[in-house]
Amino acid sequence: MTELVLCGRGGQGIVFLTRQIGEIAAGKGLDVISSETHGMAVRGGSINSHVRIGAFRSPLIRPGHADFLLSLDSSETSNNRHYLKPHGIIIENSPLSDEPGTFRVDAAGLARKFGRVQLENVVLLGFAATIDGFPFSADDIRSHIEKDRRTQIRESNVRAFEAGFGAGRRPTNGRP
Amino acid sequence: MRLQKSADVRFLMGNEAIGRGIIQAGCSVAAAYPGTPSSEILESLVRWKKELDHPIYLEWSVNEKVAFEVAYGASLAGARSAAAMKMVGLNVASDPVLSAAYLGVRGGLVLVVADDPGPHSSQTEQDSRFFAWWAKIPVLDPGTPAEALEMAIRAFELSETYGVPVILRPCLRVCHARQNVVVSPPSDPVDVGPFKRNWTRWAAIPRYRLVLHGELNEKLATMTSQEPEARPRLVWQGSGSSWAVITSGSVSSHVLDIVADDERLSCMNVYKVDMPFPVNAEALQQIVDAHEKTLVIEETQPVMELHLADRRRVLGRMSGHVPPQGELIPELVEQIALKAVGFEPEVRQLPAIKPRKPTLCAGCPHRPAFYMIKKIFDGAVYSSDIGCYTLGINMGAVDTCLCMGASVGMAGGLTRGPDSTGNTRVVATIGDSTFYHAGIPPLINAVHTRASFVLVIMDNSLTAMTGGQPTPADDFLADGSPATRVDMETLVRGCGVEHVEIVDPYDHDALEEALERAKRYTYEDGLGVSVVVTRRPCVRAPNVKAMPREFSISDRCDLCMNCVKDLECPAIHYVKGEKRMAIDKDLCFGCGFCVRVCPSQAIVSGGVSS
Repeated sequence: MTELVLCGRGGQGIVFLTRQIGEIAAGKGLDVISSETHGMAVRGGSINSHVRIGAFRSPLIRPGHADFLLSLDSSETSNNRHYLKPHGIIIENSPLSDEPGTFRVDAAGLARKFGRVQLENVVLLGFAATIDGFPFSADDIRSHIEKDRRTQIRESNVRAFEAGFGAGRRPTNGRP
Repeated sequence: MRLQKSADVRFLMGNEAIGRGIIQAGCSVAAAYPGTPSSEILESLVRWKKELDHPIYLEWSVNEKVAFEVAYGASLAGARSAAAMKMVGLNVASDPVLSAAYLGVRGGLVLVVADDPGPHSSQTEQDSRFFAWWAKIPVLDPGTPAEALEMAIRAFELSETYGVPVILRPCLRVCHARQNVVVSPPSDPVDVGPFKRNWTRWAAIPRYRLVLHGELNEKLATMTSQEPEARPRLVWQGSGSSWAVITSGSVSSHVLDIVADDERLSCMNVYKVDMPFPVNAEALQQIVDAHEKTLVIEETQPVMELHLADRRRVLGRMSGHVPPQGELIPELVEQIALKAVGFEPEVRQLPAIKPRKPTLCAGCPHRPAFYMIKKIFDGAVYSSDIGCYTLGINMGAVDTCLCMGASVGMAGGLTRGPDSTGNTRVVATIGDSTFYHAGIPPLINAVHTRASFVLVIMDNSLTAMTGGQPTPADDFLADGSPATRVDMETLVRGCGVEHVEIVDPYDHDALEEALERAKRYTYEDGLGVSVVVTRRPCVRAPNVKAMPREFSISDRCDLCMNCVKDLECPAIHYVKGEKRMAIDKDLCFGCGFCVRVCPSQAIVSGGVSS
């Protein structure tokens, strides 16, 4: 059983990321339920989504119960940190360096390098695959992304994923 | 539980699961008007139709009343049919819905109504189960996306068996949840035979309506005693069993997860009701009588609780143990349950949440329209409406927002206050989809009664807030099949408006001049209602791309903040440490409207700026 909270601003692709994680879990035969934000909040407002893998019926995570917080916008992290359980892990899109319990990657910077900042969500997912205890391996995620039939989208997503994965494999301060 | 490899498992949103249930049930007509959290039901039907090469007819109707009437007509013609809407849409559709309960249906008719406790994206927290009770229509209340699919199919069966419309009422936490769901191939479309004339039923006058009301009451009584969904179902057996929890719908999922997870709640048996109306009140009372105490947790009104004749040992909304407003999110359900059994819930230190407020997108054509309305009609009352443009509040350009179409209807009254000095000026703003939905009768009314206001129709050529669904101005239907365009200008003139202008809101001077002319026509010459249509596609429309232009802020900027406060463009921001303004290249759409409105002429073309 793994519970993940994803957060960011409307337009950053939180819903897409939630769906990828859910589809990977469902594809592995796991029970998974998630919750998304739609409607007015999506117009640039704060949004978050919850993903629960395991025998859950409710799509919502209670404060103090999440294993991971994936944040696409560092200014939203503090609005969602309370969902984490003690020793829960933050995976954040930020150019700053890691801290205990917080792993960071400059996903926006990497995505902008190949021309589309919108790919920052997939970069973050690639990075997350390198974190201990993250429920999916790089192969799980890679093989899911490679299933997309739309050539252009598939290729840019694979590129973004590999960029994030590569960044996570590089030794940085505080990590092996 | 691990699912068998052979099953077709999809990770579906609740609304997609409902769409799938509708198509699996052999439905052949579905109509809807978009509204959060219901919009993806018809959108998913478009995808299922394509994937399954299914003949189902789909339409985005002009409003919810028409959507229901189309579905009702199809039912009388022998088809299984569905209408989908959000709960405030049910208010719009209420006239035919209540009448249809009396007349009954032929082919199964399912009305999907999505509720929004919170409310997250709506005007009210109304409970469609309560509406169903009042309307005397059976209602199924799913707890998860997977259950919603099964219940959609079951709703058609019940509807056809009893000859009544059936409401399927998912809450937002089902609509916008996603879950692994097993899908099956669709049944063949159902045909119960062609329409047969029977005016004592299908065109019943009041004398026969009394007879039909009696028939409806009998149908409901039979369902109550015969259908398993009307009875509470034990879904969690506690170890102590001194307490019962009676629950339904999406909140039942929170209840189950919490009770299963917390030793302190092991004294609780959980009972779930799949059909909260018509509920078997005797079976409910038996549960209450068999336990020391019963907690009723339902959203958002006390439907099952009010069905209990003896509530002396019942905790719920009527006893004040469950708050009378707001969404019952899991942490709140946890607190209610723990307090009920005598535990003090642990106090969690929650962060001071500073949620970012939603804004009109960078490049949104509504922004220049609002900016110019404020400039030309300074001090006017701005009545507005339901859509993205309600976000004009951030710009101080929206004073009222009541319900679909009310901008126009209310404008007719706002100019007639008792202390009106004759100088009261009103500018109403409404989007194109909302205008088609509910703006036309009030516009006819305003012309006829010689009301005096300016109406700005903000035409972005789609229903933007809910994800860009087509409007009657498009020449295609929901699934892309051909449709006939209904021309906005012809329609406005047909309502009797003589002063109508269409303008591109990106064109600063043309916009200013058109609004000045409308002001002269309505307020200086006193000639009645004038209409300005500001027309430019939504920046999120499929074929719209950001303009290949870049802007930067020169050192002429004196930090007056006009671009941030009055224009409220999200692409422009203040850089704190450096005491300067900057344009965010990732967000800027390149509309260039800021160039014209900057008082210092500090925003210039080109240059790197972030």
